[in-house]
Amino acid sequence: MIEFQHVFKSYGRGVNALTDVNFRVAAGEFLFVSGPSGAGKSTLLKLIGGLDTPSRGVVQVNGQDVGKLPPRARPYLRRAIGVILQDAHLLNDRSAFENVLLPLIVTGHSPAQASSRARAAIDKVGLSGKESLRPEALSGGDQQRLAIARAIVNRPAILIADEPTANLDHDSAVRIVEVFRDFNRVGVTTLIATHDQALIAAYANRVLHVDAGQVTERKP
Amino acid sequence: MSLSLQPHRYALGVTLRRLALQPFSSLANVMVIALALAIPLLVASTLLSLQPVARQLSTDPELTLFTKVGSTTDVARNMAQRIERDYRSEVSKVRVITREEALAALKRNPSYADVLAVLPGNPLPDAIVVTLRGADLARRSPELADTWRKWDGVDMVQLDSAWVQRMEALLRFGNTALGLLAAVVAVSVLAAVFNTVRMQALSQRDEITAARLVGATESFVRRPFLYLGALTCAIAAGVAIGASAFAMGPLNGALADLARSYGVEFFIQLPPPLWLLGFVLVVTLLGAFSARWSVTRTTRF
Repeated sequence: MIEFQHVFKSYGRGVNALTDVNFRVAAGEFLFVSGPSGAGKSTLLKLIGGLDTPSRGVVQVNGQDVGKLPPRARPYLRRAIGVILQDAHLLNDRSAFENVLLPLIVTGHSPAQASSRARAAIDKVGLSGKESLRPEALSGGDQQRLAIARAIVNRPAILIADEPTANLDHDSAVRIVEVFRDFNRVGVTTLIATHDQALIAAYANRVLHVDAGQVTERKP
Repeated sequence: MSLSLQPHRYALGVTLRRLALQPFSSLANVMVIALALAIPLLVASTLLSLQPVARQLSTDPELTLFTKVGSTTDVARNMAQRIERDYRSEVSKVRVITREEALAALKRNPSYADVLAVLPGNPLPDAIVVTLRGADLARRSPELADTWRKWDGVDMVQLDSAWVQRMEALLRFGNTALGLLAAVVAVSVLAAVFNTVRMQALSQRDEITAARLVGATESFVRRPFLYLGALTCAIAAGVAIGASAFAMGPLNGALADLARSYGVEFFIQLPPPLWLLGFVLVVTLLGAFSARWSVTRTTRF
């Protein structure tokens, strides 16, 4: 499902974000990506999400070599991956419902189908009743839920989240991870980048630890 | 609605929302483009209105020979016969306008009636109007005028069609100037739309990033901006047509007297509907092209 083979990623001269990274994630796995800030976690997730390409090596996602995909084919890879970035990029000039609707419009769903799927996604993340609110009117936890709803509304096979609980208190963070667990239980491969050790201890089956651009497996 | 039209409907909705979110800025853009378009549209309307008038006027050179005051009409008739006989190959028509006919024609014009009433007699000479034909008339007409001017009994010779030729030259100049003006306005419209779309794209950075994040293609990202450029230009073209039509009222009022003094009925009117439709279409395409260029350059992040 996801495979890194001798992956290097560098920005400019001498800034190596990832160095000779090798790992494999099977379909349906639930794992955390841990490590200190600036270690390369975001870069790793961006490579999986097709938001960036490796400098060297092979990144295989759903059987496709991300580095060899022509730019116009990358959006189609992204549709199979739900991405939640640290900055959720929610649209503050639209309602929560319209934010969730966006991926469905991108993929050309009919208005009726899009509306029903968006409502189902909002319901799944526990935001029912808040559809008409703008993101800025939602709490930090609810904004993360909204970002998750937008990421899963197109029923992706893979869900990746970069520090989704960074600005939340422990209870809110736990509720957010529970939402991810629910999706994983129905077969969605889930990778969550965090440095919250308590969450890792409570939920991890498998941890990829990133430090200074190198990735190692750690026991939870 | 067909699924293939769904992204277009969405793009149009986004475009209208962006225009509505900044009504004054949107209106200012439309007005700037509309005013820029109104200038060549008015010039084009004037030139197109002038063309039928110019076509109505004889463009064949006409020479008018005026006999000396006091000579009899027979002198003029003899001259007419001589011209028909000696210059048959270069002359298509010769007619004599007697001094009595000329005076009668002048009296029919109320502007001259008062002046003519106080004159003791008929001050006008007889005239022979000669319509020329053949090649190289531009060179030959002044030569003939010089030759005939030297004849006994001829007071003066006038090349009557010179102003018509000048008008034709003026129309040619006008068309060339219109082409250049249209090019300048096209560049201005390109620049105005480019900048508008650039500002919009920069302010919509979050939306573009969000759309890309969920798998939007570049076409999907760019489409609302293309619509923005095209819609702004289409509205501006419509406003330019309205403004030009409005300006024609006072312009035609001022032109009427001038045209009458040349003995023609002339007023400026908008080009035919099909021409105007083409104008709106070309301006709309120009807007879409500029928007595409701008958004492609601005959204490389």
